[in-house]
Amino acid sequence: MTEPLLEVRDLEKYFFERDTYVDRLMGADPVSIKAVDGISFDVYEGETLGLVGESGCGKSTTGETLLGLQEPTGGTVQFDGDDVFSLSRSGRRAFRRNAQVVFQDPFSSLDPRMTVGATVRQPLEVHDVGTRDDRRERVDELLERVGLSADQYDRYPHEFSGGQRQRIGIARALALEPDFLVLDEPTSALDVSVQAQILNLLSDLQDEFDLTYLLISHDLSVIRHICDRVAVMYLGELVEVGPVGEIFESPKHPYTEALLESVPRASTDERDREVETLSGDVPSPRNPPSGCRFRTRCPQVIPPDGLAVDQPEYRQIMDVRERIEAEDVDLDSAWEHVAEGQPSTTLGPIGKYLGGLGDGAEQYREEHADAFVDRLEERLVDVDLSTPHDRRVREAFRELANGDWEAAADVLATEYETVCETVQPVLQPDADHPAACHLYDQPPAEDRASTDASDGVGSIDAADAESANSD
Amino acid sequence: MARDLLRVNGLTTRFFTQEGQVNAVEDVSFDVREGEVLGIVGESGSGKSVTARSLVDLIDDPGRITDGSIEYRNAELAEAARDDTPDAVDGDFVDVRQLSPRHRRSLRGPDFASIFQDPASSLNPSLPVGEQIAEAVEVQRRASANPRSTRSRTQSFGLGKFLVGAALPGHGFLSEDSKARAIELLEMVGIPDPAERAEALPHEYSGGMLQRAMIAQALAGEPDVLIADEPTTALDVTIQAQILDLLDELQEETGMTILLITHNLGVIARMCDRVGVMYAGEIVERGTLEDVFDDPIHPYTRGLLGSIPDVESAGGRLQPIEGNVPSLLDHEMEDRCYFADRCPKAMAECLEKPPEFDGPGTEDHRAKCYLADHPYDPEDALPEGYFDRPPEERTLGGEDRSGGRAAEAQVDEVGADD
Amino acid sequence: MVSDRTWRNLWVELRRSHLAKLGIVLVVLIVSAAVFAPLLAPHDPNKTSPEDSNLPPLGFSETKNQSTTQMVDGEIKIVQQQVEVNAQPEHPLGTDHVGRDVLSRVLYGARTSLLVGVLGTLLAALFGVSVGLIAGFYGGRVDDGLMRAADIMLAFPSLVLAIALVGIWDQQAYEVPDPFHALGITPNMPESTVVPGTVIVVVALVNWVWFARVARGEALRVRSEEYIKAARASGMRDFEWGRAYVFGYPVPFPKGIITQHVLPNSLTPIIVLATIQVAAIILLESALSFLGFSGANLSWGLDISQGRNYLSSSWWIATVPGIAIVLAVVGINLIGDWLRDALDPGIDQGEGGV
Repeated sequence: MTEPLLEVRDLEKYFFERDTYVDRLMGADPVSIKAVDGISFDVYEGETLGLVGESGCGKSTTGETLLGLQEPTGGTVQFDGDDVFSLSRSGRRAFRRNAQVVFQDPFSSLDPRMTVGATVRQPLEVHDVGTRDDRRERVDELLERVGLSADQYDRYPHEFSGGQRQRIGIARALALEPDFLVLDEPTSALDVSVQAQILNLLSDLQDEFDLTYLLISHDLSVIRHICDRVAVMYLGELVEVGPVGEIFESPKHPYTEALLESVPRASTDERDREVETLSGDVPSPRNPPSGCRFRTRCPQVIPPDGLAVDQPEYRQIMDVRERIEAEDVDLDSAWEHVAEGQPSTTLGPIGKYLGGLGDGAEQYREEHADAFVDRLEERLVDVDLSTPHDRRVREAFRELANGDWEAAADVLATEYETVCETVQPVLQPDADHPAACHLYDQPPAEDRASTDASDGVGSIDAADAESANSD
Repeated sequence: MARDLLRVNGLTTRFFTQEGQVNAVEDVSFDVREGEVLGIVGESGSGKSVTARSLVDLIDDPGRITDGSIEYRNAELAEAARDDTPDAVDGDFVDVRQLSPRHRRSLRGPDFASIFQDPASSLNPSLPVGEQIAEAVEVQRRASANPRSTRSRTQSFGLGKFLVGAALPGHGFLSEDSKARAIELLEMVGIPDPAERAEALPHEYSGGMLQRAMIAQALAGEPDVLIADEPTTALDVTIQAQILDLLDELQEETGMTILLITHNLGVIARMCDRVGVMYAGEIVERGTLEDVFDDPIHPYTRGLLGSIPDVESAGGRLQPIEGNVPSLLDHEMEDRCYFADRCPKAMAECLEKPPEFDGPGTEDHRAKCYLADHPYDPEDALPEGYFDRPPEERTLGGEDRSGGRAAEAQVDEVGADD
Repeated sequence: MVSDRTWRNLWVELRRSHLAKLGIVLVVLIVSAAVFAPLLAPHDPNKTSPEDSNLPPLGFSETKNQSTTQMVDGEIKIVQQQVEVNAQPEHPLGTDHVGRDVLSRVLYGARTSLLVGVLGTLLAALFGVSVGLIAGFYGGRVDDGLMRAADIMLAFPSLVLAIALVGIWDQQAYEVPDPFHALGITPNMPESTVVPGTVIVVVALVNWVWFARVARGEALRVRSEEYIKAARASGMRDFEWGRAYVFGYPVPFPKGIITQHVLPNSLTPIIVLATIQVAAIILLESALSFLGFSGANLSWGLDISQGRNYLSSSWWIATVPGIAIVLAVVGINLIGDWLRDALDPGIDQGEGGV
């Protein structure tokens, strides 16, 4: 295998919130959003690598950071043998000529105050390429090549449709004859029929100019159509990488599977297709789950060795565990529900009283604990649990009747702890189709690449990082 | 065979702007059957959203519905309206456009409800979600006592009540029943721990949850027809799958009719029984899902289906539809089939007169295209590059009739500016 | 840089709005008065003529009771006399208490007001926009620091601050030769115009904050647009010194993202603000002259101040310059409205909502 054109190692990009003067005065700690948390991948010359994930997974941030448009928090990027983050000014300039980007939003990626010709010409001016006439000629050439006409040179962006504007963006990206293009959701803002035009254009250009592409997208059908290899991201990490055919036909990581399954197909068989939808939402990047980040939604989360439980049950128990650990259960309303079935009391806001202290309350809770547990079970448990598990869960709920979150969490944690939460899975190094999941052989601890934040570029002080920005 | 619930005939909506008259929706006719999911698919500029908004009277200046009727079958409404506006009533069907404004407004909630693409913008960011849903419920409750009068819905909600409600939580506009129902609705749409979540503000909800909340709000009045305008476009694909499942479930449970508007053919395939394809303000093809997907007549439908990449196979080169969406400005539209300039099968007759799309009809698979009548005849094809010439220079005379545009390989062709 | 669409919007709005037309008329009037003052003024505005003092404007001739002391029959008596004071056509707007022609003074006064207004605004804009763009574009501590400085400036009431600064720096005035006189066309008119330098600097210092605020807001908006990212991606730096060609000669010129991308996209509200500021500065200058803090000798404000004592008798001395101020300010504000209505919601209008 030849040397890759682009090598990304342990790339990190954190955004810090609560970092203004006032916050420091108040002693608040900066909160970090780990948009990109230690990813590594290679891009080989001539190929198209797809970077796919849903919103908030960090894919766009990855694209911008590896081009140097954002300051990285850690990690290295080698482009054609050079370390991008430690280039001199002239080195950076040269890098810019070789690595360009096409942006997503055709309506804001062109300066509305500049003519189209001036926009495409700008990279040439910045790098002082050729004479004025040379530049004009080149712009004309580029406009024609992307399917527009040279006499549209003096028009303004608002005179063009979305698809045409995207062509202009592509022309601009090609002006300096780069080797490598980052395509950041190039067709997401376009209509379906126009998307096809642009995808064909990108394909043609790649052949004609020997380009290497990093295609960032959330649209799996586009990825399938144009990419050679695919990398799947979830919450700032890479969960699976592999050749496009394999990823789509035999995905390894449960997230990839879920992603593929969720895409509705435009065919008449679609209605009959069974889709197992993922439960819940993407966790907050401010506080990602320990171990495998996908475990809170993973339908195949791994039960501890030796435990007799089937998968849906286990998933249900883990859901309950997560709610308890996040203290995300409304105890008061459960008590209110219990109280409703009782003869009237003279108690005021019942739930709060019952949930609170005081002898009368405690006694009440003792007497009605079972009803409380029943109510919680009704609300939180959808899957029928077999007896031993049911008992355990009820035991945990019983602790909740006393308002003891920790104890409740413990009851379940000791019995149901999974490797998915204790050990972070990684991509198998030197594999063609690695998957960061415990369902697959994981390299032993000593062989793992370091994911320490202070690797590569010196640790960037939180003070120098920008304020929060989302993907 | 399910009966028609809604019959739209010749709906025409125009926008009168500074730059001219925009024919957003032109002579659109279709019917919606009780209990079905009807999909309207089209790209931007097709008029699908404007159609949806026209149905629920949400067209504002500078737009106006200039023609057509929207017949809604509702016996009770027919009774109520018969005295005020007898012309609007035809048996059990009522032409919504001809109703008095009062009656028309009363439809929102118990009869028609809508959800839109961006849930965040239809919820007030400073009020708890539960309260907003309870508000919707409350308004509907009061309405049900006096359905065709909208005044009773918000009666007694004056400044006094507002201030009292702010000071003493139990005595405001919202009754306890409404609040309880709001929590029920939140549960129905799958929001976990609804009692607690009801107190949260919209920004504490994720995108998917907001969309669910909007659906809950729409369901507050137990509507007959739910109009969903791009409900999942702004959502991630895994969340989209959840929301579509939810809509499916709700539809089964409540039997409501859904009009689903989207540009995503996959979503259509997943949800819809029948489909209408819109282009340049018109419905160009209509039929069952199988009809439209497996046996499309109109070249635009074909083009659309051929231009989408398939997640299940890499396939070969995509077959895009050449050119750009036409301008909808009245003075720029010519009197011909609007798709002719991009159509690989355009024939001479397509220019002479726009093809007809026969009335609302029944279950027939119809298309606004001459190809519905007779197969494509290469002899009649338009000459090469016909539309590349300026309008004055276009002729159909003898030269260059070599099989027309369909015969040549697909090349990304440059469309003229709009 | 200005697209066709902008011109079209401006024209459409102009046709539509009567007030805009009025504004243009007024401003053209004022500007013509200032530029062509030597040609339009009937007299040298500084020439005093005691025998022609306090003449009323045309149409306002009146008969006044004048009491004088006279020798009557060997005794000094106070005699009431009816005196006819007639307006004279050579002094259509009358004369002031020392016989200077009011019309000429008003015309020349326009020069002072416009010079101070325009130059003061330009200076304020230059400084304020630079500060604002930097603050908005870089954000963070730079923004905090700059904006706190601006806030401190805002804490001072503008008039008080202006007076204080003029007091500290003295009233430096500069004599700018008048081209008409130099060309020999109007030998009887003043040979130079007095430009109150201090006042110009002071009004700029007092007003730059508004520009900074607006520029900062725009910069905040623009910096998150994708074309800024695109410019960075093509290697453009935030700011650097480059060359521009003026009449074929290379001239050092600021280049980079801030000047080439952020500034042009921030101009619309800045231009609207500038027109309004000209009016505000004219008012400020008039106030300063009124209070005697200006270095100019020919100013509307000054005339109002001098005419203050004569309001009951020779009311025109103060009133005419007062009306001139009103017309100038109203005209400029109307133009500001026209620009704002025409250029809002902005040159880059989105695709139709249909």
